[in-house]
Amino acid sequence: MFFHIVLERNMQLHPRFFGRNLRENLVSKLMKDVEGTCSGRHGFVVAITGIESIGKGLIRDGTGFVTFPVKYQCVVFRPFKGEILEAVVTLVNKMGFFAEAGPVQIFVSKHLIPDDMEFQAGDMPNYTTSDGSVKIQKECEVRLKIIGTRVDATEIFCVGTIKDDFLGVINDPAAG
Amino acid sequence: MDDHYPVPSAFSLLNQMSVASDSPVHSSSSDDLAAFLDDELETVEEVEIEEASSSKGECDHPGSFGNMCFVCGKKLEETGVSFRYIHKEMRLNQDEISRLRDSDMGFLQRQRKLYLVLDLDHTLLNSTILRDLKPEEEYLYSHTHSLQDVSGGSLFKMEFMHMMTKLRPFVHSFLKEASEMFVMYIYTMGDRPYARQMAKLLDPKGEYFGDRIISRDDGTVRHQKSLDVVLGQESAVLILDDTENAWPNHKDNLIVIERYHFFASSCRQFDHKYKSLSELKSDESEPDGALATVLKVLKQAHALFFENVDEDISNKDVRLMLKQVRKEILKGCKVVFSRVFPTKAKPEDHPLWKMAEDLGATCATEVDASVTHVVAMEMGTEKARWAVREKKFVVHRGWIDAANYLWKKQPEENFSLEQLKKQQGTEEE
Repeated sequence: MFFHIVLERNMQLHPRFFGRNLRENLVSKLMKDVEGTCSGRHGFVVAITGIESIGKGLIRDGTGFVTFPVKYQCVVFRPFKGEILEAVVTLVNKMGFFAEAGPVQIFVSKHLIPDDMEFQAGDMPNYTTSDGSVKIQKECEVRLKIIGTRVDATEIFCVGTIKDDFLGVINDPAAG
Repeated sequence: MDDHYPVPSAFSLLNQMSVASDSPVHSSSSDDLAAFLDDELETVEEVEIEEASSSKGECDHPGSFGNMCFVCGKKLEETGVSFRYIHKEMRLNQDEISRLRDSDMGFLQRQRKLYLVLDLDHTLLNSTILRDLKPEEEYLYSHTHSLQDVSGGSLFKMEFMHMMTKLRPFVHSFLKEASEMFVMYIYTMGDRPYARQMAKLLDPKGEYFGDRIISRDDGTVRHQKSLDVVLGQESAVLILDDTENAWPNHKDNLIVIERYHFFASSCRQFDHKYKSLSELKSDESEPDGALATVLKVLKQAHALFFENVDEDISNKDVRLMLKQVRKEILKGCKVVFSRVFPTKAKPEDHPLWKMAEDLGATCATEVDASVTHVVAMEMGTEKARWAVREKKFVVHRGWIDAANYLWKKQPEENFSLEQLKKQQGTEEE
């Protein structure tokens, strides 16, 4: 799920950036450092939307660097257990399939794919129902339920299922 | 329908958490949110665990993704076998591996396919670092094929890897025909980026190997190759590699192929004194080369395996088929060895004796009328002289080695002791 929250970070700035553009430099460094990163508590920082406040800078002993505590608003993405997500299938094999929802990598095991879907090998491996009406293959969109998440320093991994009602293929690129 | 994973409604969350636009400027917001979410979810999880264990029963934890069981989501310690080549976070436990291998047999039966694990270096191709190219090989720079569209090319330069690679003659036909009989894997001692790049050269469409590319970063034991990460029954896997010792536990599945030395650096690596193919501006014969020979063997083994159309293949073993094909090569030959083995050891234990037997020959220690070949290293021995008198073949051991590599009985004239003397003479020069 997406959240719009306020986070705080201590930014270190080299004296060469001081002057008229101090705030701009601080903000661009913040964006470079933080956007696209992950943390266990907040998940994946998608984008910074604004700066709440920049505290007084503290000069560090011995170096000329100054530390500013910056509070900023940002949009974060953190999947939760039980959440329903839409994801794009990236790889299909006999163990199940891998899908991506933005930066989140999800694995849906064969055990959690409906029993009436069989794995078909070939140059476009897929899972298909016995009547061929539903097909899961690369580039497909699926709706899945998260049953576990793990957040790393830079990546988020999830385990999902499509075995419940209303889950599965949403949009098959192959059909029309 | 039971909702097994109740989620706190988004609305209730929003009402209770500090949303950015409302939050006062102090440090409570983000920490509060995180703490709040953790609390909410802890209660949710507790409820779930109770529900889960009462309604679903124990989970077997067949494997994990990111250290979470991929069936129930529970956090797991690292167990089972790592399948990094599929995904770096993928692990499977042994039962699940067995289950996957068993369920696979039906697919193999329907498709009439077996598994083939292919080595890269000196088997399907030869690579060299650009720095190691000798002056006589500089001409190769102007013969490299484009990397944008690799079809039809066999010599490639990859600046970004500081490497040049030459594909072995016949490799495209080999892969095409083998793919009709086998599901193929790449298993190389190169690292993952190298393995992926070579796969792009051999299989640009990804139709032969798919995600079945195992590099040394994916193996479970260093400096050793094993079928433990191959998702197929060992009785249905054949391996093609130039190095026998890379497969200590799977020698019966292995077809050893002659090493492909195209570049000078490759010859140097193996201490060969001879000029490399690139220096001689020559190459292995396409229709008669090692890959063409091996393809024939693969076809034979495959045909034997699927001989009886409706037979249940779970009882068949391709390793036995391979042994059978090998035993045809020197069938009918009776071989006696003369001063080839050290006298202290038992001749039957010598690898050459065993090789001859694997090739279908009968071996004996004494001569008699039924003997067809005497293997000796010099003409003066008693047995050699007997052979000449009785008009039997006298060959040096190369005749047996050649049969082993070429999967065909070779003309004895090419392995006579005069030939050997001539060869040794030129070496001394």
